[in-house]
Amino acid sequence: MIDRIKQALQDCGVDLWRINDVTEESAELFFVKKQLDTRRFKDVRKFEVTVFRDVRDPAGGPPQRGFTSVVLLSSMPDGQLRQELNAAYYAAQFAANPYFDLPDPVQAPLKKKTGPLAQEPLAESAKRMARALFAPDVHEDAFLNSAEIFIIRTQHHILSSNGTNVSYTDAKAKGEFVVQCREPEDVEIHNTFSYDGLEEESLSKKAAEALSFVRDRARAQRILKSGRYDVVLSGNAVSTVLGYYMDRSAAYMVYPKYSTWQVGEKVQGQEVSGAKLDLDLCATAPYSVEGIPMEDRPLLRAGELRAIHGPNRFCRYLGVAPTGGYEKIRCENTGRPFEELKAGPCLWAVTFSDFQMDSMSGHFGGEIRLAYLIDEAGKATPVTGGSVNGSLLEAQGGLEFCSDRYEAEGYSGPYGMKIKNVSVAGV
Amino acid sequence: MFSSLDTVKPALKKLVSALSVQFPYASVLAVEDAWRRWSVSRSGVSLSASGFGGGTGFVVRVFDGTGCAEYSFNEFSQEDISCITAVLTQRLAALEGFEPLPTPIPADGPAQLKRATPCRVDPGELGDEAILNKLKAIREKALAVDGRLLDASLGMAYRSCRKIFLSPNRDLDQTLTWTTCSLSMLAARGQELKAAYRPFSALGGAEVLDQVEAAVPEVAAQTLELLDSQPIPPGEYECVCDPDVTGMIVHEAFGHGVEMDMFVKDRALGKSYVGEYVASPLVTMHDGSAVEEAATMFFDDEGVLTGDTVVIDKGVLKTGMCDALSAARLGVKPTGNGRRESYERKAYTRMTNTYFEPGTHSVEEMIASIQYGFLLQQPSSGMEDPKNWGIQCMVDVAREIKDGKLTGKIFSPIVLTGYVPDLLKSVSMMGRDMKLSGSGFCGKGYKEWVKVSDGGPYMKAKIRLG
Repeated sequence: MIDRIKQALQDCGVDLWRINDVTEESAELFFVKKQLDTRRFKDVRKFEVTVFRDVRDPAGGPPQRGFTSVVLLSSMPDGQLRQELNAAYYAAQFAANPYFDLPDPVQAPLKKKTGPLAQEPLAESAKRMARALFAPDVHEDAFLNSAEIFIIRTQHHILSSNGTNVSYTDAKAKGEFVVQCREPEDVEIHNTFSYDGLEEESLSKKAAEALSFVRDRARAQRILKSGRYDVVLSGNAVSTVLGYYMDRSAAYMVYPKYSTWQVGEKVQGQEVSGAKLDLDLCATAPYSVEGIPMEDRPLLRAGELRAIHGPNRFCRYLGVAPTGGYEKIRCENTGRPFEELKAGPCLWAVTFSDFQMDSMSGHFGGEIRLAYLIDEAGKATPVTGGSVNGSLLEAQGGLEFCSDRYEAEGYSGPYGMKIKNVSVAGV
Repeated sequence: MFSSLDTVKPALKKLVSALSVQFPYASVLAVEDAWRRWSVSRSGVSLSASGFGGGTGFVVRVFDGTGCAEYSFNEFSQEDISCITAVLTQRLAALEGFEPLPTPIPADGPAQLKRATPCRVDPGELGDEAILNKLKAIREKALAVDGRLLDASLGMAYRSCRKIFLSPNRDLDQTLTWTTCSLSMLAARGQELKAAYRPFSALGGAEVLDQVEAAVPEVAAQTLELLDSQPIPPGEYECVCDPDVTGMIVHEAFGHGVEMDMFVKDRALGKSYVGEYVASPLVTMHDGSAVEEAATMFFDDEGVLTGDTVVIDKGVLKTGMCDALSAARLGVKPTGNGRRESYERKAYTRMTNTYFEPGTHSVEEMIASIQYGFLLQQPSSGMEDPKNWGIQCMVDVAREIKDGKLTGKIFSPIVLTGYVPDLLKSVSMMGRDMKLSGSGFCGKGYKEWVKVSDGGPYMKAKIRLG
């Protein structure tokens, strides 16, 4: 198929192109309680072709480069391939932007993921993860209401007209589950997971922790009063807040001047009484979709910006080396153990219905599903209802982290974070 | 357009026949997809035809001794029939060992249909150049409004897809086209960026583009107003929701809670409230294809014909929305709400066009009736809580109302919280005119994005804001 696409590109007179050949297979299990609801399998292969077209400005201005992309399937006859590519090449002239060089060519042999998840039959991995998930589900008061498990394997092959030819394989075990507790109030908590390996022990531990939280939510009271609190966030909510720094430093935000950040700038502000942020960008694949080799790199050191990052075009415009788009952040900050960090008085917001960080405005917030109102003596009262509505721009100078670590799909770093003096709407 | 499904349809029928020999039930959904997205902003010009969902492909559904199973693929010809049958059999055998959820095989009554939704201005015929030129011209006009505007982003997207559903007794064929546009404007207050946004949508083609230009002055004004916004003092207030905010409450706060796959899982409080008052008698709620908006369809992704579902009738919860498998498990009729993000994904109970019926009041009457409260506009996000009917909705604009008049003061951003029936029972006025918006996609939890529309009239209710 690759040869057919290359021939069609040549027939259409397309000199500049990139092909992303992605094959995906999956086995998926869907449960209601412990009973199997649906089983699914998938085998798909898609060829996304991006064509570039240089456009001269009739008024004599600088040259421009347009591009567009189209998905091709191996079932398409040659005539249809040419038709699709011709249409894309014609359209590319209307999507012209200031000229930019394509990514530097890279050639490398296949980077093959190893380990049981990458090598065992998909169905076997799905069964192992299902057993691990349900292992702690042995009590009657709190239980798994439903679950979805996806074992996904992908193969990526990236080629371009300027000589890039790289490929790699990947495998993920991901999904979601809902835990429920019926007494004294019938409640649930939604959870997600994603692992690069067959992390059966981690999944069992996550399910056990979720069952514990849902028991507490069932006895949580609607007594939260409006006011300002020192709020402790944990787990994925910490990652969501720190995502602000990854977004604001991205070339796609800096180039259009949505973000004014520059390398060397103290982006946490001049007055930092709390933790000075040490953040890294983490590579989650060997290459970006454009075939740019991905590697871990420092983002912030002591609150000072070290990198502008992102895909090829915007980085080229800004005169920085294209890094590819990152999807994971690592926070190197540490502090007291989590137990001490959440010593009161504070509000430890454990789960939200949907915790949001708006990287444009700097506001974060969400409706509280379970929080612990912790008093000065350390007594924790489970509460539910109400909402957090804070501004990171106001709070970022006084952040505090714990020493306990947390690993998730897009995050590695402290489990907990304290944000001082945050507005909370009570019930 | 979409001729390739005609070529493979005879082979797909043979596939269903071959699978029916081995399995008590077999069907196939075939999808042929055409997407296109255009955008202009300070970041540049963008045009993509690579789609949002899974694109073109197939999904087979069978029932075996355990229950329902599906196989998704995107390469198919008649020669693949025996291979698909063998792959499915082999993989299902490898997954044995779990207790099945008892599921009766859904009904497969005879049905034949071939229909298409209207499309007045085909974006393909209008052409990329004309579309991008129009978007660029509107952007220039928008930026000329005020020097404090940092950017104006314009986007247009359309999807036209053909879906064929084949089972032993059904032969259904539909072509659906929707187009959406968006206008977003940005202004900066130091490091804080404030944005105002207007969505536009239609069941149809590029005719929706005609609505965008007229919205420029209003969006620009709102963007600049947001520069002076401040956080709201938390509390419960008398509020007037504009049709977009009404739509978010319909969809997020209540709609997700009556998706009946949640009834099967015992995840929805609504299950125990059927036949009871859950809202003010002013509230009547519909879901379905009785209106023409972005989520209108003739049959769902499980081959069930669609219609109009009255979910709440004058405050009383009548029924939920239901996919075919959940209906079989619950012993009710499916409502045509079994939808997939793409052929690559499972079908769940999903909303389509969901809205409150209009009432008798004008927005001016609503505002005049409030001593102190807010006019809520520009919803930004929402999340369902079917189990506990908790509300989490966020809006970007709360306009202060004092002594029956708008004061010009704006609060932002705003989190709406509370208990859904409390909010719906507090509805005291419904506006005369109804508006639906289908610019967005709806997720089930944090995934499974499908096109939906929601809306209703202006609505007055008591809401907890923070």
